[in-house]
Amino acid sequence: MSVSDAYARVMPRILVIEDDIGTAREIAAELAGHGHDMTIARDGATGLDRATREGFDAITLDRMLPAVDGLEVVRILRERRITTPVLMISALSDVDERIAGLRAGGDDYLIKPFAPNEMAMRVEVLIRRHHDRADTMLLRAGDIELDLVRRTVHVAGEAVRLLHMEFRLLEFLMRNRGEVVSRRIIFEQVWGYYFDPGANLINVHIARLRKKLDRPGAPSAIQTIKGEGYRLDAG
Amino acid sequence: MLAEPLRFADIRRTSAFRLTAMLGATFAAGIVLLTGTIYLLTARELTDRSDRILADLAGRMLAVAPQALPARVRLETERAGSGLNYYGLLGSDGEPVAGMLRMPPSLRYDQPADIEDAGHGIGPIRLLAKRTDRGETLLVGRDITQIRDLRVRMLGILVWSGVAIAIGVGATAIGLSLGPLRRVRDLQAASRAIAEGHLERRMPLAGRHDELDQFADTVNAMVEDVGRTIAQVKGVTDAIAHDLRTPLTRVRANLHRIAQDDALAPDHRARLTQAVDDLDTVLERFAALLRISELEAGSRRAGFAAVDLGAIAASVADLYEPLAEDSGITLSFDCDPLPLHGDEKLLFEAVSNLVDNAIKFGRAGGHVRITTGGDAARWHLDVADDGPGIAADEREAVLRRFHRGSNAASAPGSGLGLSVVSAILGAHGLRLDLRDAQPGLIARITPAE
Repeated sequence: MSVSDAYARVMPRILVIEDDIGTAREIAAELAGHGHDMTIARDGATGLDRATREGFDAITLDRMLPAVDGLEVVRILRERRITTPVLMISALSDVDERIAGLRAGGDDYLIKPFAPNEMAMRVEVLIRRHHDRADTMLLRAGDIELDLVRRTVHVAGEAVRLLHMEFRLLEFLMRNRGEVVSRRIIFEQVWGYYFDPGANLINVHIARLRKKLDRPGAPSAIQTIKGEGYRLDAG
Repeated sequence: MLAEPLRFADIRRTSAFRLTAMLGATFAAGIVLLTGTIYLLTARELTDRSDRILADLAGRMLAVAPQALPARVRLETERAGSGLNYYGLLGSDGEPVAGMLRMPPSLRYDQPADIEDAGHGIGPIRLLAKRTDRGETLLVGRDITQIRDLRVRMLGILVWSGVAIAIGVGATAIGLSLGPLRRVRDLQAASRAIAEGHLERRMPLAGRHDELDQFADTVNAMVEDVGRTIAQVKGVTDAIAHDLRTPLTRVRANLHRIAQDDALAPDHRARLTQAVDDLDTVLERFAALLRISELEAGSRRAGFAAVDLGAIAASVADLYEPLAEDSGITLSFDCDPLPLHGDEKLLFEAVSNLVDNAIKFGRAGGHVRITTGGDAARWHLDVADDGPGIAADEREAVLRRFHRGSNAASAPGSGLGLSVVSAILGAHGLRLDLRDAQPGLIARITPAE
């Protein structure tokens, strides 16, 4: 049993640091709906204090907070060697702000207003990535096997040749197997760009990957979840 | 920033150089005029004196009895051993009777003239011809080597003083130009840095309170004002972004949550979903407008690095190739390296937007080409499709309209795609041109003028 499977058994604890109580409640309600145990902190100092003393699985952090600013909170957390993944949520859309947020130690950056399920997806991607970090170099989902060291992919024991970006796309989907990930998250995490390339672009990349992975007659390993994104079946 | 070497052409164009050169030229002209006048006056005085002496000598000879004149001429010729005065007597038939002088063809009676070569190695001399009562010709000459020497000496003075003045003026002009030119260079470097977004930089002051210092002081005050204004605008923008987005997040979340309610009538759910979609469109445009204003403020230039636009275009081609294939379009790529100072992610977004448009508006079964051309100074990167294109007058209107951002309501998507592209390119000192591909459209990225 891998660590990432183990984390799914207990209820992950998430800290919401957000001064706007309405937004904080919405975040908490959405994540609670995804089976997370929620704690809310209304300002940076309290958030920092709780994040330091209690072991959370993830933190959502508003960028603009009274007294101690969001950037400062994440910077101090990292200084204290607390590696809890942090999703920074901000009304500031400037690319520089995103870079500043990630440089300070944030793991992902989401711009307000956001679709709540998109936010929940990002938190879950972060939690899985955090637990995955020291994981094995071999990923498995159903009959798909991805070797990160040899950079090979086998489907039902048969080798499949993937291009560089196809490999990275499959790796990302396998690391988040069983979970829905949006096109925007895929584009950001796999390609590393932060603009909206349109839904079609990601669709055709997924379609290419499917063509290489799927076997005639068998259902596709990658499911399209209408209005949300894609999910690779855990098998 | 690397300091460019000072070239003579730059020095030559400075006001200090020109003023010094102009003053030097005026001074040199004065010297020429003065020396020339002295020479002319002196030469005329010496010639007048020679003419008076010649008239006197001739008068004395003519007072001698005609029969004794040949002997007197011989005597005076022998006496004039100093080589200063010369005499000659010609018969009425023009044949020499006494003395060494001969009548030059150009000489007229009673009109003294300069003769270069009067025969027998004599010359240059001032020569006077007089007719005697017996029809003979008396020639009296006087050496003018002294006057000629004076002219040569004067010319020498003119030439050497001219050379000395030219060297002196040139050296002074260069010396006087270098200081201000170096300061202007420093001011240019500072102004370039400021233009690149380093609003904390200031123009250097020499502390002399001269015109350059006054100018730098004025610019510094202006930069201070601009910096303050930008900071205020940024503050207001941030505040607007925060104050609008936070409540909008709540509205969106509430609508989304209500739409999830199983008890909701299907048409209500559809309307709610539509409201959320509309809200998303508003928010997307809002985000695009904020981005455009941030890009136009130029604050990102401070974070630029060395990038290769050709390589960026290659990555874009890789990303869009499956989409093109899916749309039945052949995407071809042929780009040379284009080294630039810029932001890789922003340039990727700009080129992506153009390629996305070319695929979207190109002809099914057609071709989209990403190519580069031109030379190092006037290069271009083209994204060309062979679709229906845009009419020439409309092309300009499209760009103009996008500049004003008033097309937001009519265009698909956020409606600000090309405006974002223009803003990104503008921040890089580049611009977007739309051209006719006959058939189709070329979206050309090229350095701004």
